[in-house]
Amino acid sequence: MMLGEKWDKVIGYVRGNPGVFSKSEYSLNRMKFSIRPLFLSVVCLGTAAAANNPLLEKQFNENVKPFVTKYCVGCHSGKTPAASLDLKTYSTMDAVLADYPRWVIVHDKLEAKAMPPKPMPAPPAADEKKVITWIAEVRADELRRHAGDPGPVLLRRLSNNEYNYTVRDLTGVDMQPAKEFPSDPSNQAGFDNSGESLTMSSALMKKYLQAARDVASKMVLVPDGIEFAPYPMLSETDRDKFPIQRIVNFYFSQPTDFADYFQAAWKYKYRAALGKPNATLASTAADAKVSAKYLPMVWQLIEEPAAKEKTEVGPIAKLQGMWRDLPAPSAAQPGAVRAKCEEMRNFVVRVRHDTAMQFATPKVKGLPTAAQPLQNWKLKQFAAHHRESDPAALRNDTDPAPVVPEKLPKKPGLHQDASPYWAAVVDKSRATDEDLVVPAAERSKFETSFSRLANVFPDAFFISERGRYWPDDSEDRGRLLSAGYHNVMGYYRDDTALMELILDAKGQQELNRLWEQFEYISNYTARTFIQFYLNQSGAVYGKGAESGSALPVDHEVTDQAIIEKIRDVWVAKSLEKTSSDAFVTLPGDVPPRERFRGPNDPMAPQAMREHFDGINATIRNLEKMRIASEPKHLDALLKFAAKAYRRPLTKSEKDDMLAYYQKLREKDSLNETDAMRESLVSVLMSPKFLYRIDLLDGLADARTGSGLQNVAFATAGVHRLSAYALASRLSYFLWSSMPDDELLRHAASGDLVRPDVLLAQTRRMMKDDRVSAFATEFTGNWLSFRQFETFNSVDKDRFPSFTNDLREAMFQEPIHFVQDLIANNGNALDMLYGKYTFVNPVLAKHYGMPEIQAADGAKVTANTWIKVDDANNYERGGLLPMAVFLTNSSPGLRTSPVKRGFWVVHKLLGESIPPPPAVVPELPHDEAKMDLPLREVLAQHRANPVCAGCHARFDVFGLALEGYGPIGEARKNDLAGHPVDNSATFPGGDQGSGLDGVETFIRNHRQKDFIDGLARNMVAYALNRSPQLSDEGLVDRMKLNLAAKGYKFDTLIETIVTSPQFLNKRSSGAPAKSAPVTPSGAVARLNQPLQPNHKQELQ
Amino acid sequence: MLKSRVSRRTVLRGIGATMALPWLESLHALADTPSAAMFPKRFGVMFMGCGINEDYWSASGNGADMVLSKTLQPLESIKGKINVIDGLFNKAATGQGIHPAQTGQLLTGMHISKGAIVHSGISVDQMLASKLGEDTSQQSIVLACDQPMTGYHETNFSLAYSSHVSWQTPDSPVPVEVYPSHAWDNLFDNRGSERNISILDRMQDSAKALTTKISSTDASKLDEYLTSVREVEKRVEGTRKTKGTAEDNAKAMNKPMFSMDRPANGLPEDLREHSKLMCDIVAIAFQTDKTRVASLIISRDLSAMYYPFLNVKDGHHSASHNNNSDGYERISRFHVDQFAYLAKKLDSMPEGDGTVLDHSCLMFLSNMWIGRKHDNSRLPLVLAGGLGGTLETGRSINFVGQAEEKRKMCSLYLSLMDRYGMKLEQFGDAQERLEQL
Repeated sequence: MMLGEKWDKVIGYVRGNPGVFSKSEYSLNRMKFSIRPLFLSVVCLGTAAAANNPLLEKQFNENVKPFVTKYCVGCHSGKTPAASLDLKTYSTMDAVLADYPRWVIVHDKLEAKAMPPKPMPAPPAADEKKVITWIAEVRADELRRHAGDPGPVLLRRLSNNEYNYTVRDLTGVDMQPAKEFPSDPSNQAGFDNSGESLTMSSALMKKYLQAARDVASKMVLVPDGIEFAPYPMLSETDRDKFPIQRIVNFYFSQPTDFADYFQAAWKYKYRAALGKPNATLASTAADAKVSAKYLPMVWQLIEEPAAKEKTEVGPIAKLQGMWRDLPAPSAAQPGAVRAKCEEMRNFVVRVRHDTAMQFATPKVKGLPTAAQPLQNWKLKQFAAHHRESDPAALRNDTDPAPVVPEKLPKKPGLHQDASPYWAAVVDKSRATDEDLVVPAAERSKFETSFSRLANVFPDAFFISERGRYWPDDSEDRGRLLSAGYHNVMGYYRDDTALMELILDAKGQQELNRLWEQFEYISNYTARTFIQFYLNQSGAVYGKGAESGSALPVDHEVTDQAIIEKIRDVWVAKSLEKTSSDAFVTLPGDVPPRERFRGPNDPMAPQAMREHFDGINATIRNLEKMRIASEPKHLDALLKFAAKAYRRPLTKSEKDDMLAYYQKLREKDSLNETDAMRESLVSVLMSPKFLYRIDLLDGLADARTGSGLQNVAFATAGVHRLSAYALASRLSYFLWSSMPDDELLRHAASGDLVRPDVLLAQTRRMMKDDRVSAFATEFTGNWLSFRQFETFNSVDKDRFPSFTNDLREAMFQEPIHFVQDLIANNGNALDMLYGKYTFVNPVLAKHYGMPEIQAADGAKVTANTWIKVDDANNYERGGLLPMAVFLTNSSPGLRTSPVKRGFWVVHKLLGESIPPPPAVVPELPHDEAKMDLPLREVLAQHRANPVCAGCHARFDVFGLALEGYGPIGEARKNDLAGHPVDNSATFPGGDQGSGLDGVETFIRNHRQKDFIDGLARNMVAYALNRSPQLSDEGLVDRMKLNLAAKGYKFDTLIETIVTSPQFLNKRSSGAPAKSAPVTPSGAVARLNQPLQPNHKQELQ
Repeated sequence: MLKSRVSRRTVLRGIGATMALPWLESLHALADTPSAAMFPKRFGVMFMGCGINEDYWSASGNGADMVLSKTLQPLESIKGKINVIDGLFNKAATGQGIHPAQTGQLLTGMHISKGAIVHSGISVDQMLASKLGEDTSQQSIVLACDQPMTGYHETNFSLAYSSHVSWQTPDSPVPVEVYPSHAWDNLFDNRGSERNISILDRMQDSAKALTTKISSTDASKLDEYLTSVREVEKRVEGTRKTKGTAEDNAKAMNKPMFSMDRPANGLPEDLREHSKLMCDIVAIAFQTDKTRVASLIISRDLSAMYYPFLNVKDGHHSASHNNNSDGYERISRFHVDQFAYLAKKLDSMPEGDGTVLDHSCLMFLSNMWIGRKHDNSRLPLVLAGGLGGTLETGRSINFVGQAEEKRKMCSLYLSLMDRYGMKLEQFGDAQERLEQL
């Protein structure tokens, strides 16, 4: 490698570490902070190696030091050394190594013959060359000796974003507990995932405590473990809402539309014509996403063997007729088959509605007709007879036409049975249904037909809500799973037909589990009974429908004895002798209403007994279940802790955690839920969760250690990461979150350290959706748009299209782009030159692209993202013209070519530009009010050589992108009406214009810088520290591999994960015996705020 | 002569105790005459469901000449410290349906929502608690003698509206505490801070153990964690109460002080005992400054409570449908009795030149006037306490017949909140203060 090229690298490296120093001037103050990590790493380099290269040491003493003393120290020393650089202090080679970047400047200046400055005499060329060469050799030597040094990777807490992702994966709910935490600062390299900038304070600790409590408040105990709800589960209404929503969601996601089954049956019938001659009913059901259990039943009924068909009557005959009328595929118009299937379904639904069995509550004199035990009896009958037909619904053709009542009766009052009202509704419907008229002579044949129809087609698969007038659902909507009581909340399960007909064994198990969880979480049976006891049980004594009983002495209301006592009283009431006058009206009732006088329904006593015995059985069973489930909860707690600590627990950790739980239960008298919550809080507050502790295994081999003890840390030096530590490092690199089960299995077996397994896992993880976190955190911080979701510099009056939705879409665009690159191992250069991008509806509109059509007719929502392959037809494609970058760099009412250009050159191409001088006049902030186009106003930058020194390097890129307005919109004129001129003369003289011009220039001259910046930034992100000199080898390898593999993006990632820096950790040795409790001075310096923070752009 | 204003905080700091002590009069000698303005102002709400017997609820005249009706008789001995206000109402509670629709906004003035999602506003007591609660270990206590009901009323409003009057946020009522022993424990056990200290202790131990198992640079970073934990723990410790200090100090000063033992676990059978216990808890909480805001539901809306000791055979709600009966008058008077009990108890606690009652405002109200008609076009309302001299007492004020804008409950709330130093522009449906107050 030519020295010149090497120096390109050095200069490039130096520029890639912005703020280190600038080309023209530097200030010692800024350098002090910015190169501090370098200081530390170089110190490590210096001390880790045994001794310096003796030849170089000799050359320093013989050539370099005398040269510097003779020709430089004269100005560069003393109280006020020139350019604040005191070269007298470098009396040893170690001193040079400790402050190497400054010596790059020395080299720079010497080579450019800028130093010594005229009129000082020029030193002899040979001597000067020796110094220049020596400085270069030092770098090469250090690289040789320390390449692959893992560097100082400090213990670091999870960043806020990592905390959010990790809690999401730990609990299964994306609850974002760190949403309101103060922003994490970035380190030197611009990333917020290193110990260099992530610190802990008491204020933050309080927030972590609150966040841990918030997470714990969402925990809910279930019979076999713990789960997390999306909202706190502290109040009764929450504990109902969560399990109810899950049950109702389950109901409505089942295939219960008859039309779907008719259509699937048709597809089966014509399977040959439809190209699937070998399809079975089962496979057809699977394709149509309907129940494989139910489809054959439907098929049987409608496609009976031809002989039987002739003797079919009634609704089955009619249905079969409709079935036979379905056209064959060849004859079918699109949508015609579906329409006819829906007609069939509507027919079945109507007939079943009109022939459903109807039930009333059993009546008992003196009790409200809708008293709970009686109401439940009614509901039970309904639940048991959904697959039967009511013979009373049929009319003989010899009967006179039924009298259709004009008006429906009044709706029942409170505590009254809704059945009479509903019966009238049903009668009215039956009266107008001609399909219910049957020939008297063949009555029984027709009844059979209706029965067979009902057996296959229930009048309801499930009941998801009941108001007070159920089955009438015209009022009281939204009372999910309710039993339909007045006032008191109660629930009743009726999904008999769903269980019998639609769900397979797995589905049945799932639904049963959901109902069991509902009872377990909300305790609804006990609650309903307590409310009944306190508010309604007194009705049996004639005290009125809304009257309770006195609290029992020394007993809980739900004690078995109390329940049985109430049961006996209510049963006795139902057995009382009564008069035989069914209904009377009392003179005092105004308006008159019928009061029931007897005889009591003979089923009433059984109804009472079953009701109260059922309640008792449920409550007792629940008590047992709670006791039996406590050990399962403890298991779940330990599993949770192991996941949280990202490794298995040691035995002493397990014992300690269980002991703490016991203490909470026994000593502090917490109930089970509260004790579990406290235990979760202690896990989430533990440093083993909050901090990424890289455990090192035995010295020899990561596979031989248990991975649980940090064995090797005591010996200073470089050690292999244990398999568990490697799993964590890999998952936080690619997913910003904890390892998943598969990764942990490889850690447990130890084979994760094998390169083939490591690569296989890496590739699996890159295709996983969680890699969007890498796309967000890495790209967002590298290209400075991570905070864009809260960007509010846009004047929304002037740009009303800049809604929160558009802002969010802009933010997501580069993330989708990069995630796609990773998942498909695309060409990294697409980021610059790609002709495609990703849009959702609101972004497509912003870019003037056509409306989105989703694949296969699926519904298009705000979250539908598609790839646009011809984005170049809309002035888009790749990162450069993405609205987020163009907007992020615009100060609201105009563009800023300076900022845009700076972003391109500094962020995308990795060049370091010093800040502007302090006294620069402000540009007008409203483009609409400017007389000259911005380009002309900025002409000063080019005319004045003091400005041009820097501005010539980047303004032009922004000027070339003037074809995009302040919110990235493509435009021909600016806001004041001036036509946009996007022509550009790039550094070096190339001419071009617009996006194409920028891309062409980069392709011809700066592509290497882009790749270099990408690689270098990825190293910093992956290693959780600022890059150091010894990483140059890794960066080189990344670039070589990338080019060799056709710029496939994943190459970069794979090179990193297999590098020694990634696989090893440097330990500083054991802490001193009397380790100081307060941070020592050297470490204290680590914690000083770094500046400048890369999240702020220079003005 | 030593003249120094001794503030409450000085007392606390000096003694090192963290529980506020009842005013110790010996310190009085060191200070100027303490003005009432130095004492914290408290706020309490007591609720009765379904209205009163309108035939026996009235007050006329002022001061010693005030004449109280039969139901208000229990207040006779402190009538100089009360205000009987008639004719106020909540417009948002009218015309929406009966019961929950008349209760959900009693203390908020906002329109409430039907169906599964409850929504009202922030109630006046919780609004005050958000400010006054900053200085006390508990922001407020919310108690009830009547268990809440779940489910829906036939108007499709949730019965949560009938079971709660205090709303911390518009979307969630504050759950009521029905068990006296739990209410006690919440006040005096400092459960929250105890839990936090337990966690922080554990974290310290965990981190210290870890420090010996990681490298020196890692250990230094972990120090940040340790230091932070320690600092937070110190702060939490600082607000913990030490038990018994108040009583010990009072005994040392030979001052009589209301004290009570922790109530037994479980629910008292007799409502009289239950109600008394809850009033006592409010009293001791105010006296020891554990909190300055309290609400207590004796009987909720749609209550099914029984009063066999009043010889009433109907449940509360049924009886209210016959509210002009003698039985219901006895029920109403029983409730006023509880109010009088609490007010007199606070009045028996000396504080500076006055009593705790003098530095408080207690409010008794119901969600209806006439239960059998579900009429809430005006509400029964009594205030007790002078709020440190900022609220004139001993008056009967009648707003009946005035224009609707002049008799808003929310105007009353605004006027009261002013006196606590909380001057809002708007509350519920009112922006104007209540005249004559």
